[in-house]
Amino acid sequence: MTTVAVAQALWLLVAALGLALSVSYAGLPILGQGAFIAVGAYGTALLGPGGAGWPLGLACASAVLLAGLVGFVVAIGASRIEGAFLALATWALAWLVQRAVLAYPAVTGGAEGLTRRSPAHLVSPTLGLDVVLSPAVHVLLAALLCAAVIAALIRLDRGPGGLDLAALREGPALAASLGVPVAARRRTALTVTAALGALSGAGTVVLLGLVAPSDVSPLVSLQLLVAVLIGGTARWWGPVLGVAVLTALPPLAAALASSGGLDPARSRGVLTAALLVIVLALRGPVGRRFARLGPDVGVAAAIEPSGIDDPARPALLRAEHLFASYGAVVALDDASIVLRGGEVHALVGPNGSGKSTLLKALAGELSTGAVEIAGQPHTARSVQDRVQVGVVRTPQQTVVMRGLTVHRQVAVGARGGRPSRQGVLRHLLATPEAGRTHRRSAEIVDEALHDTGLAHVARTDPQRLTNGDQRLLQVARAVATGATVLLLDEPAAGMTEGERTRLAAVLRRLAGNGAAVLLVEHDMRLVGAVADRVTVLEAGRVLFSGTPDEMRAEPSVRRAFLGAGPLVPEV
Amino acid sequence: MTAPAAGGVLLQVVLSGLSAGAVLGLVALGFTLVAGTVRVLHLAHGDVVIAAVFAGVLGVLGQTPVSAALGPRQSALFVLLVLLSGAVLAALIAVLAIRPHLADAGRHRRADALGWVAGGVASGLLLREVLGLLLPQQGYAVPDPLRLASLASDGLVHLPGGSALPVRAVGVLVIGLVVGLLAERLLVRSRFGRSLRAVADDPDAAALCGVAAGRVVVLAFIAAGLLAGLAGLLDAPGRAVSVDDGVVLGLSGIAAALLGGLGSLRGALVGGLAVGLVQAAAVYAGGASLQDVAPLALLVVLVAVRPEGLRHGRGQR
Repeated sequence: MTTVAVAQALWLLVAALGLALSVSYAGLPILGQGAFIAVGAYGTALLGPGGAGWPLGLACASAVLLAGLVGFVVAIGASRIEGAFLALATWALAWLVQRAVLAYPAVTGGAEGLTRRSPAHLVSPTLGLDVVLSPAVHVLLAALLCAAVIAALIRLDRGPGGLDLAALREGPALAASLGVPVAARRRTALTVTAALGALSGAGTVVLLGLVAPSDVSPLVSLQLLVAVLIGGTARWWGPVLGVAVLTALPPLAAALASSGGLDPARSRGVLTAALLVIVLALRGPVGRRFARLGPDVGVAAAIEPSGIDDPARPALLRAEHLFASYGAVVALDDASIVLRGGEVHALVGPNGSGKSTLLKALAGELSTGAVEIAGQPHTARSVQDRVQVGVVRTPQQTVVMRGLTVHRQVAVGARGGRPSRQGVLRHLLATPEAGRTHRRSAEIVDEALHDTGLAHVARTDPQRLTNGDQRLLQVARAVATGATVLLLDEPAAGMTEGERTRLAAVLRRLAGNGAAVLLVEHDMRLVGAVADRVTVLEAGRVLFSGTPDEMRAEPSVRRAFLGAGPLVPEV
Repeated sequence: MTAPAAGGVLLQVVLSGLSAGAVLGLVALGFTLVAGTVRVLHLAHGDVVIAAVFAGVLGVLGQTPVSAALGPRQSALFVLLVLLSGAVLAALIAVLAIRPHLADAGRHRRADALGWVAGGVASGLLLREVLGLLLPQQGYAVPDPLRLASLASDGLVHLPGGSALPVRAVGVLVIGLVVGLLAERLLVRSRFGRSLRAVADDPDAAALCGVAAGRVVVLAFIAAGLLAGLAGLLDAPGRAVSVDDGVVLGLSGIAAALLGGLGSLRGALVGGLAVGLVQAAAVYAGGASLQDVAPLALLVVLVAVRPEGLRHGRGQR
């Protein structure tokens, strides 16, 4: 291999590592890395020496900045919708850039591309600098850059940033409900991906003194996707292996083409498609065999629960006159509820009576009216803000984050509830404060696992958990956010009798620690065993609110439940 | 020949835009059908359109097609082959590249968006490149089985104001709209259409009523493949077609589907006409180089700036 070829492969690796951050760490389907490479390459060629005549460094920096901006803008729109639309947006971008390059040959040189002086000189009259950017210098620069990016990826994966990205990848909706700033993380990932892609393009055009549409085509985007997918999920060496495979692709295609009398460009395309198909087919089985659940946050010493016991039972959350409707269907009709610290509050009612809607309203997922939390009114519709003030909802369905250990899953909650300013950056730079945050987080996770009775499965593969443990894990993740108000949507769903008894003990312990627990439940025996207070909803209205004993005596509640048998058996 | 008056040119631009738009509407109809029922973005849809056309060409004329007029029997064979290829290719894509990455409660499998996105893109690429190996030329003239150009003796419709339009474009516009509306009615009314919508609204409930979601995925793709074949039959004749044309055609159709509200069949037809008009206007104002750039830019802007408008209001589930 010539020095130029090595330098070219290393610059390609920069783009692949950038793409890996979005694809294999954050789980975002990005199909347009070629477009960002194009912005870097054409930007540098057009702005720099031989083009607009800007100094080379300034031209490169501007092109990289521009690409980052494009990535940021695409992510702003696309991060508000499902992940697949991000694939569509970036795929369309890849073709738009390629067709635009071909549509304006006067600017871009059309299919021929642009040529620039090579090797380029990095000149700075003020510093008296004149460096010839020979291929060897490129190898050095690109290798240093790759090493830096790899080191950052490894470090990132071990810290809070990696945890955020893993949560984003394994369950974005759940991560959002635990307070992880999902949209912001997506934007950051795509911006960095785009910037590294542009840097790769800039480096390559300076190295070769040439950029042509075929170097930045949508096919290149797909080849880079293959390169990134080869390594599977969140492995820094994936792109390295992938780029090695890509480097072997053109000679292989040429050999195939010459032996079969076929067009080499087409053969390259067929090989890329075949590779993509193979990588996809192997993704499942190989991924399962070499499943890697990620490093744990660390092990803290055993901690006894803090155990706040306030006899006054303060009102932690007060919601009055909530209204909500889905189209013509009224889900909440002037509903009010007060949740007190230290109390387990059960929310019962027939299907469709608005129980889940009330939980979503309290958790900030719907704007339904004012909710007062710890004496402060909150009207804005923001799940993240509610998590910060200690109100968290667990979803009705079990969400299995199968790529993360139980310990790490609970750490997602610990991180979501306590965002640290520039926590990711601090961790990358290994500041002392980051170390303290790290240890504190490990303590919080152990405490939450202890309180929910899951300490014995902390290191277990989440896919091997029993259904009961899965449901408790949902609670543990919410507890780890430091929530004082826990909104639990049917935590007992699918639990066996024994598991329900365990759940009841966990709920009592959480209330004993001072939390206000709101529990949606159909099983009246469990309600009778665990609840201090019951609210009955019917057609979005509060039919009754009081103690379980009072509820048993209330005729209107009996009627709502069709009056069959004793509603709450004596315990 | 005197230069046509401005009004005549405007009419020409509008009519040719609507004609291209009717084809895009058919492409969008297939895409929106799959998106609305299976909740999958069919990223190989445009490649199916072009591959179906070339499968017909290869079947009827062979690897070195000469643009000769087809006889009635050859025409019928060509139409059949194109429609059949569209359906078969779409079914293969659904079974091999898409369905393995969708959620399957029976096998405890979660939906893997990265998987089906990459699967769709890989199938499109494979179709393009394999066809490119068989048909190495830049562009091919595809025969018109309907012989729309022979509707007028000189092949032109003379518009008031002195400009003229190929009569083919008018035929494509009329047929495209009629077929599109018929297909839309058929999908809304038929038993098949009802079971598709049942799966879209609630896969679990549909399964309880005996509608197998896995089979519906394939059926939706087959319906989209038939629509792709129809779009190809209208679109390909009358210009030089390259095996690589499918991607941009498909992405333009996606822009139309998004414009019409993803999942809305009638919206897709209207969206197609709108994208056709935008494209014709851009080409008229900025030159032929904007032919591909205009719909692609529209798509990028649509996805990035107005994503909330893309979802059809269905309420929360």
